[in-house]
Amino acid sequence: MRIQNHPILSFNRGNQIKFYYNGKELIGYEGETIAAALYANGVFKFSESKKLHRPRGIFCAIGHCSSCLMTVDGVPNVRTCITPLKDGMRIESENIGVEINE
Amino acid sequence: MSKIQNLELLVVGGGPAGLSAALAAANYGIKVSLSEEREFLGGQLIKQTHRFFGSEKEYAGTRGIDILKKLIDEVNKNNNIEVLLSSRVLGIYEDNIVTILNDHKMKKYYPQSIIFATGASEKFLAFENNDLPGIFGAGAVQTLMNVYGVLPATNVLMIGSGNIGLIVSYQLLQAGVKVAAIVEAAPKIGGYSVHASKLRRLGVPILTSHTIKKAIGKEKVEGAVICELDSNWNEVKGTEQLIKCDAICLSVGLTPLVDLLKQRKVKTTYVSELGGYVPLRDENMETSIKNLFVAGDVSGIEEATAAMIEGQIAGLSVAKRIGKNSKDEIEERIEEAKNELELLRSGPVGKKIRKGLSKLGLNHGKNYNEKFSEEALDISHLMKTGVPSEENLKNKLPSEEKVFDKGPIAISECFQRFPCDPCVKSCLFNAISENANINNIPYVDFEKCTGCGICVSKCPGLAMFVIHKNFSETTSVVIMPYEFLPRPHKGEIVKVFDREGKYLCDGKVIRILDGKFQDKTAAVSIEIPKEYYLQARNFKVEEGNHG
Ligand code: SF4
Ligand code: SF4
Ligand code: FES
Repeated sequence: MRIQNHPILSFNRGNQIKFYYNGKELIGYEGETIAAALYANGVFKFSESKKLHRPRGIFCAIGHCSSCLMTVDGVPNVRTCITPLKDGMRIESENIGVEINE
Repeated sequence: MSKIQNLELLVVGGGPAGLSAALAAANYGIKVSLSEEREFLGGQLIKQTHRFFGSEKEYAGTRGIDILKKLIDEVNKNNNIEVLLSSRVLGIYEDNIVTILNDHKMKKYYPQSIIFATGASEKFLAFENNDLPGIFGAGAVQTLMNVYGVLPATNVLMIGSGNIGLIVSYQLLQAGVKVAAIVEAAPKIGGYSVHASKLRRLGVPILTSHTIKKAIGKEKVEGAVICELDSNWNEVKGTEQLIKCDAICLSVGLTPLVDLLKQRKVKTTYVSELGGYVPLRDENMETSIKNLFVAGDVSGIEEATAAMIEGQIAGLSVAKRIGKNSKDEIEERIEEAKNELELLRSGPVGKKIRKGLSKLGLNHGKNYNEKFSEEALDISHLMKTGVPSEENLKNKLPSEEKVFDKGPIAISECFQRFPCDPCVKSCLFNAISENANINNIPYVDFEKCTGCGICVSKCPGLAMFVIHKNFSETTSVVIMPYEFLPRPHKGEIVKVFDREGKYLCDGKVIRILDGKFQDKTAAVSIEIPKEYYLQARNFKVEEGNHG
């Protein structure tokens, strides 16, 4: 769901790049954040909450709420809403199907 | 770790307040470092596609994104400003040493003075299922949509009718997203009435005295249950209704981001009118700690125009203190800025801010003339519904019907006293007056007005219309502002609506002013049956008509 024509704005998107979401190849644009690219590809559930496995997505989009944390190129808990997308990036959801024993 | 770098002024935060502060100080020779956590400057301005209100000096009538372009341009041209992007201030210590993280490296700075322009964060709201994907803060919706051009959803329920809620709703419509409704817990609309009226004309319901009970959906929002509230804010039993939507947008207020200030033990206090904990400060924006200043939302939630002026005051105050010369000139400019700020806050919508500031012991040393705040018109119906009352309209129309015989005349459907004046400033014929106070209600002098339609494109509230009642024997023409796609063609038949978004009649497009001057707010002349000249206030172009 990308805006093509807008009455006020014009979007100068960067080059198309490939990235991987849970192993699946997707297309995004240089200059956008990981979260924006995922959302544009119809991905709204980014991860699950640790204990109750509630779905998690974007909430604030400015790096303040931690709702969008994902594992990026092996680094866990990256705030995807403020991290720029890079060519070939591997993005993984967290806590899906992982049970925590306490 | 690298050695400590000395600085004259560190500005923390590259939004409207921070940019203005950096420029104000740098223009008087202060060496400024401006640190911004993101990889770009602009803060919230980057998402503001609407024209600003406020005074002409602070770019009223210009879109937020264009104001930003001007500010960034000036910053880049200024040799005294060093911009540190992707640079997060992590800590500030008792000796004023500041650590900044950039590219995984920590750097230490020792600034002589600091201006904190860290802005605000969005408030949250408690209701069942409020953690579902598809529930966003209003800022997130704006970021996705206006910065990255990604649609957040197809049908959004907006919670909160403050200016942000109203503006984001309008922006959603412009991006082609439906707005199911705007829900407001208070008995009246929180933002400017002109914003609300725009939305009502477009058919968006505004439900005051309503609240959200829960979000529906498993993996993602599929709807919401809302209900009515009584005058004591209690739910009215049996009023629950299900609203279908695929996203819920929360715009329930902002709260100052004072974490860094607290770290440095700046004195803060809770002032609900200013959004939460705010730093104590003086009129020059200096906090309880010498040489530590604040500006913008971090010092109390207000509009961006006020943030820019506060930034100037803080920047100039630093320049006056550590600068070498021009002290008198700087002092003069500080006074000017203070007067401007005072004027901006002097009307009824500034009342809350004034009350908040007085709790900080600030009132610019003067008592506001409360005469200014008395409502001239009874706008209770307008503030409840977004639609003006018959009384309100009568007040703005010519007193005698025969005035319409002279030809096209402008009608201003702006009834609230708030700081705004592009209509007054844009009219070449001096036909609009606010009686010298930017907070007053504009009135058109029908004698002077030529019906040129300039004000239709220049009013940020889209509240100016031109009416030519006797266009022909049976038809009238109304010039309406239009900020949507697709643009109409001359000769095209469009659907015409009233102030509540109800279909009235078909109309014919007879002229479109849509050039550089109109700057994307087209002024479109629509010919309609004469009986509707007092009701027709909006039109829609059918997508299918366009090949
Ligand atoms: S229509 Fe033209 S002359 Fe009349 S008030 Fe507007 S700008 Fe002034
Ligand atoms: S009519 Fe004038 S005061 Fe009212 S919103 Fe428009 S420009 Fe501002
Ligand atoms: S969405 Fe809030 S931190 Fe990313």
